[in-house]
Amino acid sequence: MRRGSSKKGSTNSTTTSTNSSAMDLFRSASGKAATKELERIDQLFYKYSNESSGMIDPEGIEYLCSDLEVEHTDVRILMLAWKMQAEKQGYFTLEEWRKGLKALHADAIVKLKKVLPELENEVRRPSNYVDFYSYAFRYCLTEEKQKSIDIESICELLELVLGSQFPQQVDLYIQYLKTQIDYKVINMDQWMGFYRFCNEISFPDFSNYDEELAWPLILDNFVDWVKSK
Amino acid sequence: MPQNLDPATPSLANAAICSIAASLIPEPKNIAFIEADVKVITANESETFEKFRNINLGINRTEIDIKFELEMSSQKKKNFQIEAFKHRVVVDPKYAEKTWKILEHAIHEIYNHNASGLSFEELYRNAYNMVLHKFGEKLYTGLVSTMTSHLKEIALSIEASQGALFLEELERKWTEHNKALQMIRDILMYMDRTFIPSTHKTPVHELGLNLWRDNIVHTIKIQTRLRDRLLELVQRERSGEVIDRGLMRNVIKMLMDLGSSVYQEDFEKPFLRLSADFYRGESQLFIESCDCGDYLKKAEKRLNEEIERVSHYLDAKSEVKITNVVEKEMIESQMTRLVHMENSGLVNMLMNDKYDDLGRMYNLFRRVPNGLSLIRDVMTSHIRETGKQLVTDPERLKDPVDFVQRLLDEKDKNDKIIHLAFNNDKMFQNALNSSFEHFINLNVRSPEFISLFVDDKLRKGLKGVSEEDVETVLDKVMMLFRYLQEKDVFEKYYKQHLAKRLLSNKSVSEDAERSLILKLKTECGYQFTSKLEGMFTDIKTSDDTMQGFYAAMGQELGDSPSLAVHILTTGSWPTQLTTTCNLPPEILTVCDKFKTYYLGTHNGRRLTWQTNMGSADIKATFNKGQKHELNVSTYQMCVLMLFNNGDGLSYTEIEQATEIPTLELKRCLQSLACVKGKNVLRKEPMGKDIGEDDTFFFNDKFASKFYKVKIGTVVAQKESEPEKQETRQRVEEDRKPQIEAAIVRIMKARRVLDHNNIVAEVTKQLQSRFLPNPVVIKKRIESLIEREFLERDKDDRKLYRYLA
Repeated sequence: MRRGSSKKGSTNSTTTSTNSSAMDLFRSASGKAATKELERIDQLFYKYSNESSGMIDPEGIEYLCSDLEVEHTDVRILMLAWKMQAEKQGYFTLEEWRKGLKALHADAIVKLKKVLPELENEVRRPSNYVDFYSYAFRYCLTEEKQKSIDIESICELLELVLGSQFPQQVDLYIQYLKTQIDYKVINMDQWMGFYRFCNEISFPDFSNYDEELAWPLILDNFVDWVKSK
Repeated sequence: MPQNLDPATPSLANAAICSIAASLIPEPKNIAFIEADVKVITANESETFEKFRNINLGINRTEIDIKFELEMSSQKKKNFQIEAFKHRVVVDPKYAEKTWKILEHAIHEIYNHNASGLSFEELYRNAYNMVLHKFGEKLYTGLVSTMTSHLKEIALSIEASQGALFLEELERKWTEHNKALQMIRDILMYMDRTFIPSTHKTPVHELGLNLWRDNIVHTIKIQTRLRDRLLELVQRERSGEVIDRGLMRNVIKMLMDLGSSVYQEDFEKPFLRLSADFYRGESQLFIESCDCGDYLKKAEKRLNEEIERVSHYLDAKSEVKITNVVEKEMIESQMTRLVHMENSGLVNMLMNDKYDDLGRMYNLFRRVPNGLSLIRDVMTSHIRETGKQLVTDPERLKDPVDFVQRLLDEKDKNDKIIHLAFNNDKMFQNALNSSFEHFINLNVRSPEFISLFVDDKLRKGLKGVSEEDVETVLDKVMMLFRYLQEKDVFEKYYKQHLAKRLLSNKSVSEDAERSLILKLKTECGYQFTSKLEGMFTDIKTSDDTMQGFYAAMGQELGDSPSLAVHILTTGSWPTQLTTTCNLPPEILTVCDKFKTYYLGTHNGRRLTWQTNMGSADIKATFNKGQKHELNVSTYQMCVLMLFNNGDGLSYTEIEQATEIPTLELKRCLQSLACVKGKNVLRKEPMGKDIGEDDTFFFNDKFASKFYKVKIGTVVAQKESEPEKQETRQRVEEDRKPQIEAAIVRIMKARRVLDHNNIVAEVTKQLQSRFLPNPVVIKKRIESLIEREFLERDKDDRKLYRYLA
């Protein structure tokens, strides 16, 4: 959750310098093919980036989505962001772009489009998915020192990242979140708790749910709510 | 030497000395042996042969003499020697037969009560010689067969005895047999001492008992008859008849003499069986016909009877067994039914303070397993039930002082029962305490009420009461306080009530106040009372400040109203954030002067007037010219002062002029206009409650016998519903940091801990003040996780880690 705005601010100014030095290092160390690939990745970046900010901004992302022929709300875009470890919602920096695309070995839009299903498979692996899941929460934190997300956004995010995996649980949980009045926001702990809950607790009877264990209180309440229904 | 064997004849003693002395001298090697013999005789037969004592003494003397001589002789280099005695060799082949005949005859004579003609010395010598000449076996078998035949005759005569005479005959024969046995043993003593041990035969006395057992007691005709007869007598005694206890004792003693197994098999076991049957039946009968108290009395009586019976004629070891039978049949098997008996069981006894019955029950039930725990359980549930009724009865909630008084009465009542009937048993005291703790906390208002009770006592209840009595009352309150789980709630209320007492100067005794705070301090520690003590200090400082104020500004003030200000430290007092009402201009001037004075001496402070807490004395003149001094609250003063400038004020006008909060204003108008005898205002329309449209007039017809009239506010002494919730909320808010602090303290020490243990530890740490709710603890933990004091363990989700 390290999201200092100062850091973000500095990213832009340092991009160019690290850029060139990294290039030099790269040229001397690796072959031509690699250099070419990197060049193409950069070219692709500049195709979508905003010249004044030096980043791909929301507008650029939308453009990219249409080239990839996916919705910009598609979970795969979130996965792409995860792959790049993008810090700020709606923006990709050059550095993040390079990191992501190099790892995907995609230096053209066609290739990127091709590797998207592979990326999805990679993310869906359980070891990666926890990381992706927690990344999704952090990615939505837009304000400095923000630690929790409002219920409405949480519901959308849940639907997006868990909706296909645990449709029933997610549906019920969203239903619950929208009716309860105790919580107005969800924090990281509660967010992660729900993922564990979906993975570990038998549904729909909750037979192995033990309130004595240290589940976040909101899940205790959720279980009570479901049971009373 | 002719000798007389009759023990009653005095000549025997001398003769015995002679005879023994005779054998003593020639056989110096046997000195010790013979002396030992005589000793045994005296020890065993001390009753019958009382005169033998002399012999013993005599022998002792002889022995000393001889020893002395021996010593002397050794000094004289053994020039004196005692030769061993040499017996003649018996040659007569019929010697054994002849000698036995003599002895057999003697035995017959003894059994036939003809012993007076016999010579003990001769018989002893004969027996002695027989053994010496290796005829011991003959002597022994002869004895067995002779004695057996005599016993068979005796058995016949006993069998022949009729009815009640049976036992008497048995007893008589038994005594005779014993006497005969003693004599025979004396005669055959030498055999008893030498032949029998070396051949491992039964000694004469024991032999006599065994033969008696086999030929008399264990014969078919006598055995059952004896047993039935004994049991019948016991039964008769139980049903109230008087029986011959001496006879019983002797016969039972006989059985015991024959060996403990004879006693147990022939009497004790059937006796216990019979008793069990008897008491089973009787307990059934009693339980159907008696109430609990009577039953217990009867059971107790039976138990004592049995104990007495044992002491009179049974073996002492039987006491435990027979009492066990009574306990089992009369108490254990019926105790559940007894305790729950309708209208007379334990609950009834407790309700009616039947100390005797309860004490009896305690003493009887403690004898059986689980008896006391049964009483305790029933008592606990009874106390809990009545307690629950008491604390949840809506009628009781109307008068907090009475409510607490009833709790105290209930406690006193039960304490007295435990003291008088239950032997101050710790088990019961603990049960009582836990019951009280249970039900007092059923009512969430208990802390408030206990504080109100104290308030009442410290305001007026303790007037004219001695110091010791004050202490007793306070100690009792503290006892109730200890039962409270939410001690912090009590503290909140206590603070409020104390504040009112201090500010209105209504406390009866500062000593009592301080004494109670001291008790709270010892109970809950310094933190609990520091603020309460701060309140006392504030009052003292305020008095000094007011003196200073009047010393400095006295002349300037002239004849404006006199003012007494209490300066209260924020935080120590239960101040509420109230908007200050509009004070009358006269008062406001003085107040401002004080403010200037105070802030002049104390830099950087802020003063806020708490108009909801003050009081005022005002002089009023009524129509007929009579004057009264009215003691009113600050709010009431503000209202009354309005009537100096106009009459017939509407509710709204008053509200606008004073800006007193609606609820308070209604209360204060109610007490000014609606209380009979204190109605200095008049209201239109008449009525008990204040409406928004009412109009108020100065009541010039007001009359009172007293010059000083105290117009109390119609206080809801207890808190109203919204106030209650507010207090509750404040308490909950105050608890949050305490719970969090406890969690952090624990986690700092333990680093890693699982959820349940944290909850348990936190509860333990805080229970002296309140009982934290596990859900609240969980909430606090989550809040600490969010603020990154703690984190969840990556693998085991029950665990929390402390983040330094």
